[in-house]
Amino acid sequence: MSEPLMVGAVAYTPNVVTIWEGMRDYFAGTSSEMDFVLFSNYGRQVDALIDGTIDVAWNTNLAWVRTVAQTDGACRALAMRDTDTVFQTVFVARAGSNITGLDGLRDRRLALGSQDSAQAAILPVYFLDHAGPGADSVELVRLNSDVGKHGDTGRSELDALRAVLDERADAAAIGVNTWESIGREELMPGAFEAFWESPAYSHCNFTALPDVPAERTQPWLDLLFAMDWDNPEHRPILEMEGLRRWVPPQLDGYASLFEAVREQRIPARW
Amino acid sequence: MILDLVEHVGAVARHGMVSVPLGEGDPDELRAAAAAWCARTGNDLVEVQGNVATVRRGRSPNPLGELDPDLLPGTRLWMYTNFDCNLACDYCCARSSPQAARRALGLDRVRQLATEAVDAGVSELILTGGEPFLLPDIDELVAACTAVLPTTLLTNGMLFRGRRLDALRRMDRSRLALQISLDSATSQLHDEHRGRGSWARAVAGIRTAHDEGFRVRVAATLPYEQSAELAPFHAFLDSLGIAPQDQVIRALAHRGAADAGIELTVESLIPEVTITADGVYWHPVSADDDDQLVTRDIFPLQEAITEVRRRFTEVRARATAAAQWFPCA
Repeated sequence: MSEPLMVGAVAYTPNVVTIWEGMRDYFAGTSSEMDFVLFSNYGRQVDALIDGTIDVAWNTNLAWVRTVAQTDGACRALAMRDTDTVFQTVFVARAGSNITGLDGLRDRRLALGSQDSAQAAILPVYFLDHAGPGADSVELVRLNSDVGKHGDTGRSELDALRAVLDERADAAAIGVNTWESIGREELMPGAFEAFWESPAYSHCNFTALPDVPAERTQPWLDLLFAMDWDNPEHRPILEMEGLRRWVPPQLDGYASLFEAVREQRIPARW
Repeated sequence: MILDLVEHVGAVARHGMVSVPLGEGDPDELRAAAAAWCARTGNDLVEVQGNVATVRRGRSPNPLGELDPDLLPGTRLWMYTNFDCNLACDYCCARSSPQAARRALGLDRVRQLATEAVDAGVSELILTGGEPFLLPDIDELVAACTAVLPTTLLTNGMLFRGRRLDALRRMDRSRLALQISLDSATSQLHDEHRGRGSWARAVAGIRTAHDEGFRVRVAATLPYEQSAELAPFHAFLDSLGIAPQDQVIRALAHRGAADAGIELTVESLIPEVTITADGVYWHPVSADDDDQLVTRDIFPLQEAITEVRRRFTEVRARATAAAQWFPCA
């Protein structure tokens, strides 16, 4: 039997251990076993992918973009969650603020999450530039509370929402997952309302380099795609990881982030 | 408050627990909001005390799903046919004796229970007392049960004479097992607790039932410390023709008339739905104890079973929470 496929992930919450132990157990005893390594930030993980310490990285969209840049496009995406294909950024304000679109942010304060968060910082600026009044027309309130983890903790987005409640900002840009986690407009009636939702874009994916041949990754992927929401043994892992099924990557969904990274001159090792 | 829930719960591992201050405000509204958030996000609101919520991340494991299917409450249905008895055993969990009031369940209720049991998914009926053979219509009660499901009848085996032997002979041997109480291979221990001469009559009853073609199970009730040296007892039961799987040893419970024995509480017992004339109880060992009364409403049986399962789930969730809340190191 070949060596287990080594998968890297970033430890943004203790739950990550449970998730990846569950994933490891799922593949245990198959012809394509895996193990995992946890990193404290995505910069380290991408380094480890490139130097061969790990075979596959569970990357955010920004980590994917930075891996593409550092490998001159030689890396390949293997799979993503169904929820990664329809990710969005949601712009929210206090209920009753009468902000009806991105243009309403002109000369107002917009709270952003950590600077390396695609959904709560990089893409919001991109959307302001391409679908709104331009980022230069908006006062950006940056809340860098979980830098290194590409916004995975959600902490900076919660801080952005608190800034709105505390009237330190007029609006906030957050990921749709955070918007869902606070119950959208339903669980805090009168607190927030969404006034603009971005087009869907792609978020995380499993990334591999050419050094890891398809003969190693394909059997692993076949098993990954076989995880079944209706199977009670698989479901807890899928629930914790926030998906119903694993799907092939949708690379078109990264176009806006590639453009945003170039325009905003995001450093290569973020 | 919702933002705090998201942040605090998101920072603990699955099944980990965290306390989250809910802030100022109306306690009922805060509790409702926390409950709504937990329901929406698939987390478990363990409790709210004051304005602090305790939340377990993720859904609680289902205690019912973790049970052996044979132990699922409602798989076996116990019915106390009566509480009076020709014996007055000093450790009887039901406080039965010749002086005990009969408190009979009665043929009509037994028949209805048996019928509803089939629809409720019960797979075995168990009749106990008291001494069921004191009832003049015991054969009809048994027939109502064996007509629908495999049935076990608990007895001390001492009354198989005359009309009672005739009643025994009318019972369906293919659907009925008899469980007869016998505590020891010799008379001393058995008679010490159950009365002089009771061992010899019980052994005679076992032989009679066996000779009549019934499957006979023998159940001993022993103090925990005596449950280790059972070889002579098993050898004796072997000599009576009792199959090894029908030789049942039960620990003495500190319930009813017993002044010692293992403590059995709602928290420590996997429930077995038990019906008496007074209501639905958690377990047959506690069918005369109000602390384990589930409901006075025997019917509909399905609702009684559902309520027992609900309480079991609640008790186990509380125990799990306590176990996590008070680590020993």
